[in-house]
Amino acid sequence: MRRLRVGVLIVLVLLMLLVPQLGGDYYVHVFALVFTNVILAASLRPSLTCGQLNIGHSAFMSIGAYASALLAKNLAVPFEVSMLCGALVAAVVGLVIGYPSLRLRGVYFAMVTVAFVEVIRLIAQLWVPLTRGMSGLSGIPKPNLLGVTLATKASQYYLALFLMLLTLLILWKLESSRLGLIWKSIGMADNLAQSLGVNIANHKLLAFMLGCFFAGVAGAFYAHFIRFLFPPEFGFLMATNILVYNYVGGRGHFAGPIVGAAFLSLLSEPFRGSAYETIFFSIAMLLTILFLPGGLITLPGKLAELRWWKSASAHSPSPAA
Amino acid sequence: MTPDLLIQSTIIGLSIGSIYILMALGLTLMFGMMHIINFAHGAIYMLGAFAIYYIFSQWGVPYFAAFVLAMLLLGTFGYLVERSIYRPIKGGIEPTLVALLALTTFLQAAGYPVFGQLDKHVPPVFQGTRNVLGVMISVERLMIIPMAGALVVGLYLFINKTKMGAAMRAIEQDKEAAALQGVNVHVVNGLAFAIGFALAAASGALMAPIFKLDPMMGEQPLLKAFIIIILGGLGSIPGAILGGLMLGLIDSIVATALGAEPAFLLSFVFIILLLLFKPTGLFGYAPP
Amino acid sequence: MVEERIRSQSESRRVSSALLLETHGLTRHFGGLAAVNRVDLRVAEGEIVGLIGPNGAGKTTCFNLLSGFIRPTAGTIRFDGEDITRLRPHQVVKRGLVRTFQLTTLFQELTGLENVLLGLHLHSRRSLGRALFSRRRFPPDEVARSREVLEFTGLASQADQLARNLPHGHQRVLGIAMALAARPRLLLLDEPVTGMNLDESGRVMALVKTIRDRGVTVLLVEHNMKAVMGTCERIVVLNFGQTLAEGSPAEVSTNAKVIEAYLGAGLAHARG
Repeated sequence: MRRLRVGVLIVLVLLMLLVPQLGGDYYVHVFALVFTNVILAASLRPSLTCGQLNIGHSAFMSIGAYASALLAKNLAVPFEVSMLCGALVAAVVGLVIGYPSLRLRGVYFAMVTVAFVEVIRLIAQLWVPLTRGMSGLSGIPKPNLLGVTLATKASQYYLALFLMLLTLLILWKLESSRLGLIWKSIGMADNLAQSLGVNIANHKLLAFMLGCFFAGVAGAFYAHFIRFLFPPEFGFLMATNILVYNYVGGRGHFAGPIVGAAFLSLLSEPFRGSAYETIFFSIAMLLTILFLPGGLITLPGKLAELRWWKSASAHSPSPAA
Repeated sequence: MTPDLLIQSTIIGLSIGSIYILMALGLTLMFGMMHIINFAHGAIYMLGAFAIYYIFSQWGVPYFAAFVLAMLLLGTFGYLVERSIYRPIKGGIEPTLVALLALTTFLQAAGYPVFGQLDKHVPPVFQGTRNVLGVMISVERLMIIPMAGALVVGLYLFINKTKMGAAMRAIEQDKEAAALQGVNVHVVNGLAFAIGFALAAASGALMAPIFKLDPMMGEQPLLKAFIIIILGGLGSIPGAILGGLMLGLIDSIVATALGAEPAFLLSFVFIILLLLFKPTGLFGYAPP
Repeated sequence: MVEERIRSQSESRRVSSALLLETHGLTRHFGGLAAVNRVDLRVAEGEIVGLIGPNGAGKTTCFNLLSGFIRPTAGTIRFDGEDITRLRPHQVVKRGLVRTFQLTTLFQELTGLENVLLGLHLHSRRSLGRALFSRRRFPPDEVARSREVLEFTGLASQADQLARNLPHGHQRVLGIAMALAARPRLLLLDEPVTGMNLDESGRVMALVKTIRDRGVTVLLVEHNMKAVMGTCERIVVLNFGQTLAEGSPAEVSTNAKVIEAYLGAGLAHARG
């Protein structure tokens, strides 16, 4: 089983490496954005695992995007550094928002994060001398690595792939360590975790800041890839989409947000940016919560169960016979 | 700021504050009973405004009848949401919150193709201006205060003087004990949904003649209501009323001096500081 | 074997002069009601003390106060001479005062072993670096220690079962096992045998005695009078948030006030 899983992973990564060779620039562009969405969705997971509903993830993506873009554009900071700075700024802002609100019951945190999305949008909109406000920030340099500019879309695609794989690797290692076990324990029964000596406020904060950091990474890549930032993009809608990826994909397993982000972003690609995308997302979300609470990742198991049940009832002799 | 301007923004603050109070009361009522935050509250506000647009200004139904109709319509919708979303989830708080978020984005997004993107206006209901303490204020804005006030008093009487209200208070105290005493928790929760939705619809209906209508119009009032219930303490009805008045005044006075967006940023900074130093809210309310 | 037990008991008697837990005027109001009212509780090292009383007498509130989940309205709590009144739950645990919960509060979706590993939380070495670069999920010594605890509590064969799939009795014992992994000096057990049959409760109470013989002081809340009378050396009776009586099982069970307040039939049953 384990070997099979590793095999499937290797094939998937090989396929992703081949996308620029097989598809055109369109696919390269679409998949690079899918990878950004995967980073966003997976980085929300630690917070959700702790039982904290963060509905403001897009705000931290916005912070990372603007910070990295402005550093690169105005101070000619190399991409590696500006990205790291963007992610760190996002994490520090997460600390400032998270520290006061994570000590209270979950809904306070949820409400503060929703309001925070609006706060960041307004700041980006009003601080015109720095962000150009509603004219949008343009002329962001292309990403570079070790001084070499990644000029082609294909090379930027590989950067996105690398960032996604690295993020997933780090998050996976953390989730499968003792730290991940503690996060799960807080989500399941926070009073019991406390009674075993877990400082739940600190662990929630750590999970939240970690998420903010990687949202900042996703934002930084996005800024240098699209090369244009517009405040309303990072609004409430994007924040809920990131939550939707997690729920539709499934909350019970690390693969959930990855499957959710990939599945939904690819499926909604034909109507990206229109109202129908949101309608599609919200219906998918409602249907999942009501009829498949475990998300898409539990679907194969459920189907297998159904088939087993059917065949068992077909083959077993009836009591009357 | 001249004294005239101060009086004017105080009165406008009171009328905005009344809207905020209606929004916050519904939220805090639903939280007290079910420990959920109705994220769809802003979308229902928007639907309330559009209901007035169609019923009053398109079909020509008299304003007050249209107002009551809008509340009934969306109250029923609230009851249906309890039946079809809240009840099947069986009290799971997080899935309920997420489902309500999905409902919000759905209603907002569906608003564009259904209502069209045109700037819709509801014609003025109350004409003219009136002299208050030497300042001229539009009657439209003034009328919000008594109408919202009547709804608040009505809600107070309902909760404190009727059998259904007593059942709601019992659930707020202790759900299991209430169920053991024969309170039908499902029906009463459905009622709380209906009341919350109807109050949000009323807020939207009151604001419809003043602002332009669009599917995203509920987002600002929702965020304001969040700030109010954090300010007043989750689940506290007096907290929601005092918080609503405070935020209405701050909003109106600071917004006149600095602009609407800085006023919002300021109130956010304020609640973060409040949570840091006084986590139970301004009025020290600790939910049971 | 018998000799060993006698020795360990006399050892525990020798240190029993040392006061481990002491509350002074402990009070907690809810609204206008005093759930716990000026309670002076004393637990000496090596004792098994029972805290009993009718429903709503304030036992659970007492536990919540002692473990830091709620703050007292008035009064102080001292543990091993240190004032712990204002500490938060995770800080109280660090001092060696560990509690369990009523019913089956467990990490239901984790295995028995993982549950106990979480009990080791305070005694594990952990860092982001270790989480990122170690090849093993958990250090072998922590796993070994957890298996030891499972062995001791008789759950060794259930290590890899999800907690929610365990039978009710085993779930309750798992709760105790987790608390033991945290290496308590004083163990607060909240209704450890309520809802168990005679056989199960007998085994759990034997386990409680073994735990005490290993040097852990025990304070327990329990409704099952037979279990309380058979295990505890001293009993404190609460009624309406106040201490009603205190003494050995024999003293308490013959105390007129206690019988009047609540024991009555239950006690006659326990004696019979």
